[in-house]
Amino acid sequence: MRLSLLLGLTGLGLMIAAPLGLPPFAMTLLTELVILGLFAMSLDLMVGYTRLVSFGHAAAYGLGAYASGYLLLNTQTPLPFVVILAALLTGVIALGVGWVCTQATGVSFSMLTLAFAQLLYAIAFKWTSVTGGSDGLAGIPRRPGPLGLTALTTKAGFYYFALGCLVIAFLFCKVLVSSPFGAVLRGIRENEAKTLALGYNTRLYKIAVVAISYALGGLAGALYAPFAGFANTELLFWLFSGQVLIMVIVGGSGTLIGPILGAAFFMMLEHQLSSYTEAWALFFGLVFIAFVLFAPEGIWGLISRWGRRGAVAEVKGGQHG
Amino acid sequence: MSNLAFLLTQLVNALSQAALLFFLGVGLTLIFGIMRIVNFAHGTLYMLGAFLGYSLLHHTGSFWAALLVAPVIVGLLGTLFELTILRQLYRRDAHAFLMVTFGLALITGEAVRLIWGSDALQVPPPPQLAGVVFMLDEPFPVYRLFLAGAGIVVALAIWQLLERTRLGLLIRATSQNPEMVHALGVDVNLVRSGVFGIGCGLAALGGVLAAPLVTAAHGMAATAVIDAFVIVIIGGMGSFLGSLIGALLVALVQVFGNYYLPDFALAFMYLLMLLVLVVRPGGLLGKEA
Amino acid sequence: MADTAVNAALGAAVNTAAGSGSSATVAAEPLLQLDGLTKRYGALVAVDNVSMQVADGEVRAVIGPNGAGKTTLFHLITGVVKPTMGRVRFAGEDITGLPAHRICQRGLSRTFQLTSLFPEMSARENTTLAAQARHPRRWQPFGGSGVFSQARAVGDAALEQLGLAHVADRPAGLLSHGDQRLLEVAMAMSQQPKVLLLDEPTQGLSVEETAQAVDTLARFLDKARVTVLLVEHDMEVVFRLAHKITVLHRGGVIADGAPAAVKADARVQEAYLGGMD
Repeated sequence: MRLSLLLGLTGLGLMIAAPLGLPPFAMTLLTELVILGLFAMSLDLMVGYTRLVSFGHAAAYGLGAYASGYLLLNTQTPLPFVVILAALLTGVIALGVGWVCTQATGVSFSMLTLAFAQLLYAIAFKWTSVTGGSDGLAGIPRRPGPLGLTALTTKAGFYYFALGCLVIAFLFCKVLVSSPFGAVLRGIRENEAKTLALGYNTRLYKIAVVAISYALGGLAGALYAPFAGFANTELLFWLFSGQVLIMVIVGGSGTLIGPILGAAFFMMLEHQLSSYTEAWALFFGLVFIAFVLFAPEGIWGLISRWGRRGAVAEVKGGQHG
Repeated sequence: MSNLAFLLTQLVNALSQAALLFFLGVGLTLIFGIMRIVNFAHGTLYMLGAFLGYSLLHHTGSFWAALLVAPVIVGLLGTLFELTILRQLYRRDAHAFLMVTFGLALITGEAVRLIWGSDALQVPPPPQLAGVVFMLDEPFPVYRLFLAGAGIVVALAIWQLLERTRLGLLIRATSQNPEMVHALGVDVNLVRSGVFGIGCGLAALGGVLAAPLVTAAHGMAATAVIDAFVIVIIGGMGSFLGSLIGALLVALVQVFGNYYLPDFALAFMYLLMLLVLVVRPGGLLGKEA
Repeated sequence: MADTAVNAALGAAVNTAAGSGSSATVAAEPLLQLDGLTKRYGALVAVDNVSMQVADGEVRAVIGPNGAGKTTLFHLITGVVKPTMGRVRFAGEDITGLPAHRICQRGLSRTFQLTSLFPEMSARENTTLAAQARHPRRWQPFGGSGVFSQARAVGDAALEQLGLAHVADRPAGLLSHGDQRLLEVAMAMSQQPKVLLLDEPTQGLSVEETAQAVDTLARFLDKARVTVLLVEHDMEVVFRLAHKITVLHRGGVIADGAPAAVKADARVQEAYLGGMD
């Protein structure tokens, strides 16, 4: 625990200091990383803590992005309010998604979330008056305010805004998973039938966690639209859902911090590989399979295993003795 | 065009579409039935079939050779993947498979792009099937009729395989109780390798057959894998008959939806699936999820 | 408090005294009452018109050869399966058809025939989570140290009762088979239930493990004044633990009464000799 706190604070310190020393293109990458990290972390609530493996989490991102893009293009609402509104809207829609998808369990649940995302994808394609159809929404501005505040619209200001969202969301998730509610989620993850038999209404807990997870995913998407200046159907596509799941698994599910690292790893790998070879996705696939086979606990799992090595050896020794 | 002629052509159209969807869905459902895994790479293997078909057609000059050889190659690749990677994961939970096959989809998709380039490739139908026939005075492509026929033939063949042969018996038994089959002295792993190969081969068969209609293109992978999932979910995971019904329903929704409400055809498919799942979470012929 | 306990004990005593004769004037209403409970699956009648009463403080066993409908009866009581006909009354209220988690919330806690635990959590975390389910703030999405410490105290007491205090910090999945079965009972007890439903508590244990587990259960039941409904096919276990026995055969009740009387019943002997697997 000490180690993770130390690493986390160091990381946060570096992130806060980053704008001072980094060139603009690196700032762009870093901002995207923060947003993707938030997105991956939001999925971890479902995948890592509740074993609800969503294959359609792009739906949350896309919903948030379209909602914030639409509001920024068509209203004068200041950026921070837009982002919060978009996240809330995503969460409310997710109540319905959760209600339907939790009818099923296991692989069927995964497929249902995928179907929902694809349904939204199909809608975004055709509902041109709102979504811009296949062109998507372009030229999304970062509206200043509230009170004429323009600090958030600059490159560094927006970065800090996104970073602030990530930190708050992280703390929120941390509190949530450590609470009595979080303990029930763990129960559902390990043995849902037993959790139900103990008298917990597991379906309600699952719907709640889907809604929270989607709302935070929507928050990430809502940040992405003004960051990139556009929102298009790609953001709702199943491939993106698969990618964010990879980030969670590669980073280490059920750890919150792991998926953020996973997002960073994903982005760096994509960035590095794509500058060497056209076929970066091929290598990415190989790296991913290697993780599933050889390091299912992910990057953060490897780090904390390394940190806990002494303690684990002790426990093992005790059991044999 | 008379109403009757219109209905007939649309129905045969849907039947030919259902045939393609069935090749996709039945492979996925067979694999799921035996191995309890969802093959995310299914659409990519379908696409690989189409591109392999293109190359084989150009090298041999025969569509029929391509139709035979491409599924065999993809089937062998599938078996190889099962032997080297999937086999190590049977003790892990279902999601490890989803992720590994997602990785396979990424790799295969990229490999196809490297080998064949990014452009869509034209695959002409064999000359015997190139023309049109007249049904109630309406012209109709022979190739689509052929597809519908091929779908019926393959469906009957798989049905007979499952019902009448020893392999079919093993497949059905393994899907119900692998421990028991293992206890009877059958190498369950061999059945798994075989079925995974057959499933992949069927996807490739669909790919070769689809190529003359839609060209061999990268986009077909994503569409195919989603369509395949929808079919299997509607029909019920692991159910042969379910995949047949699912393919027919989806084809009908696609063909008639495209005609009457082209803007909503895609959404209709997902709505159909959600509807089925809300009423029967395990799919029409599936066990409870 | 003391008065109600005395009344209940008196009620039980009156019941026993009345014996097999008509007991129209029973002092206290039975805690759990089944009226004509029936479950059909198509043509198969799994549970056929079962009526029985379990008094407060009683340890009642439901026995019968395999396929007699014992587990289905359990599912009907706990709300996992909805009955085709008949009612379940608990503490004077009709609970027929309520969802499983609601029934559990009212004070019926069960164990499973096949061990069902949270294998990666410690034994203590298992009982804590079980106890938390009875806490009014069990769903609280923040903080919760108060909820946890109260639940832990209740859970620890249950671990103590079943002799598991020494393995409290071990992951449940690594406990011995016998301890895992007892942990399930401890989890149910952590919910401070009015009725404890035990589904074949010694299922899957070796002869030695069974003997040990039964010793522990007997000691525990002597001290804890809890009403128990026990499903079991191991006769030794039943005669060791139960005050009263109900015998099911082909879905219906064929005998009901004190262990000695049931043992001597001709129909029971026939069912067991003729119907065993």
